[in-house]
Amino acid sequence: MQLMQRSVSSPRTQSVVLRRIRAVDMTDLLAPAALILLIVVSGIMEPAVFSVSGLNLVLSSAIPLALAGLSQMFIIMVGDIDLGTGFFVGLVSAVAAVVMVPNPVLAVLILAGLVVFYALAGALVQVRRIPALIVTLGLSFVWLGIGLLILPTPGGQVPNWLIELTNMQTPFIPYPILVAAIIGFVAYLITIRLPYGAILRGGGGSPESVQRTGWSLLKMRMIAYSLAGVFGIAAGLSVGGMTASGDPQASANYTLLAIAAVILGGGRFDGGKAVPFGTVIGALAISVAGSMLALLGVPSDYQTGVQGLILVAVLAGRVITDRRRP
Amino acid sequence: MTMAEATARSAGPRAPRSRASVGDWLRDHPWIWVYVGAVVMWLGISVSNGRLNVGVVGAVFALAPFLVLVGIGQMFVITLGPGNIDLSVPNVISLSAFITTQVMVLNSGNLLLGFAAAFGIGLAAAILNFAIILGLHVPPIVATLASGLILQSATTVFAGNGSSNPNPVLSDLTHLRISGVSVLAVCCIVVALVFSFVLHRTVFGRRVLAIGQNEGAAIFSGVPRGRVMFMSYAISALLAALAGLLLGSFSSPSLALGDPYLLNSIAVVVLGGSLISGGRSNLLGIWGGAMFLLLLNTLLNTLNIEVATQNIVKGALIVLVLALVGAEKRK
Repeated sequence: MQLMQRSVSSPRTQSVVLRRIRAVDMTDLLAPAALILLIVVSGIMEPAVFSVSGLNLVLSSAIPLALAGLSQMFIIMVGDIDLGTGFFVGLVSAVAAVVMVPNPVLAVLILAGLVVFYALAGALVQVRRIPALIVTLGLSFVWLGIGLLILPTPGGQVPNWLIELTNMQTPFIPYPILVAAIIGFVAYLITIRLPYGAILRGGGGSPESVQRTGWSLLKMRMIAYSLAGVFGIAAGLSVGGMTASGDPQASANYTLLAIAAVILGGGRFDGGKAVPFGTVIGALAISVAGSMLALLGVPSDYQTGVQGLILVAVLAGRVITDRRRP
Repeated sequence: MTMAEATARSAGPRAPRSRASVGDWLRDHPWIWVYVGAVVMWLGISVSNGRLNVGVVGAVFALAPFLVLVGIGQMFVITLGPGNIDLSVPNVISLSAFITTQVMVLNSGNLLLGFAAAFGIGLAAAILNFAIILGLHVPPIVATLASGLILQSATTVFAGNGSSNPNPVLSDLTHLRISGVSVLAVCCIVVALVFSFVLHRTVFGRRVLAIGQNEGAAIFSGVPRGRVMFMSYAISALLAALAGLLLGSFSSPSLALGDPYLLNSIAVVVLGGSLISGGRSNLLGIWGGAMFLLLLNTLLNTLNIEVATQNIVKGALIVLVLALVGAEKRK
């Protein structure tokens, strides 16, 4: 066991060292550069941005997106894609708004069941070799359907502790940045620090070698999907807490924005790369971009299109900075 | 004919004739199941109505053309192989419905201009999709998702200018039935036959199949991948735009007009026995899949099952069918 782990992780350490000597991977700098640029530009437009409360406001929507992005990251890391993130987040917010106050135990059971669902989806993708995009697209309608059954119209009652937890104010450091650092660190521990993280990354980058060294790809994929489920639940709870209500449909665009956060953060569609901090910073940058559109007075009709354009811009930026062409 | 095209022919879905059995025959004609399913749905409707309901078949047949058109386009894209999918179809449909109806109203009901507008929208969407996929090296899923959002925004902006009434001539045409049989649906059968010929009997169709079966081998044997890919995505976008034009006249343009067609267009391809991993497709299955899905919708409606549950049923059905069939490629 010990030997295997070393054989999996040592080439990686070596390549990281080599890469650092040659040059820094430019794709990893894309998200921080975009974030700084966007904050500076919106600060020039509206100087109040450069204060703790200003940053709080600009970044307010970043945490749910960062959590959704990390959920997506676990799936992209193993070489798949999750088209159900948005409706899953909405479903969890509905559970938080309808079930949690009257029946907390049932709510926990439902959320645990959703994680099991995710694990089974991962198993299905692995065993039957069905493209993940179809499985998750099918599931997205299941999430939406269950969400609408629980909560046909937006509203409900979210527990107070959740509202307080998501709307806290902290001195000196804006609360969203603090939370972003913590969740990024947790994801970093799982994917980079934990020994099994190497299996998760390797399972996406080079499944054959992971399998040949005796690791179960089925278990790997089930764990990756479960982690995606857990982070998706966290995203849904934070959406519910921040808006103090549930809405199965309102977070539909999280699917695309979460993918954008991962790719902006340096993730690769063919898997194998874990970018916990990159994803979080990417999510921060995307939500600053959203706030900036509001500052610029872009009509809401155009916002969806602008989100699409942001994704295209992100992808274009990646093409320019990525020297390893696929 | 190049090597890949020759391979595409020899790797076709025919088993050795000497050992033909019922099992082999069923495996080679996977679309049988969806027709069986459609009949079961029809029997279910008849049971819940308490009589053999023939009228519902005619009604469903008249609704099917729109889904069949979009499904054919989606099928060409999916045939290209793993990862190829067009998620922008619902937005192309909605945008096309709005713009074409308005164009026809502004030009005193000129049908030709309506069709020209639909063609332009389809072509623009195809170019947008293709530019993102090849220019930015982006998986088609993400590329078509992004372009879909851009198109959706265009629709929202356009719809803000006020919507127009459907063209009366085209509306009558889409509703026209001769002794209970929808004329549009019959036309759509012809369209399906034409595309079946294109897929199985033309160089272009062979190349689509060849890329889907083994992309590397196809490229090495000289298949112009970029051109074939563009044409497949163009077929998808153009047929979606055409469906939008017809659907806008059949009912009336709305922002959510195309929404059901995202899952449904993929569903008809999968249910119809085409491989989701590409390389093997059939047009008969598209028609069967459309009839099955619409009959399923009708059954769920007659059982008074609400839309939320219908979503669950349809989503789960696709996953379940794929879980049973699997997506392994034939060697």
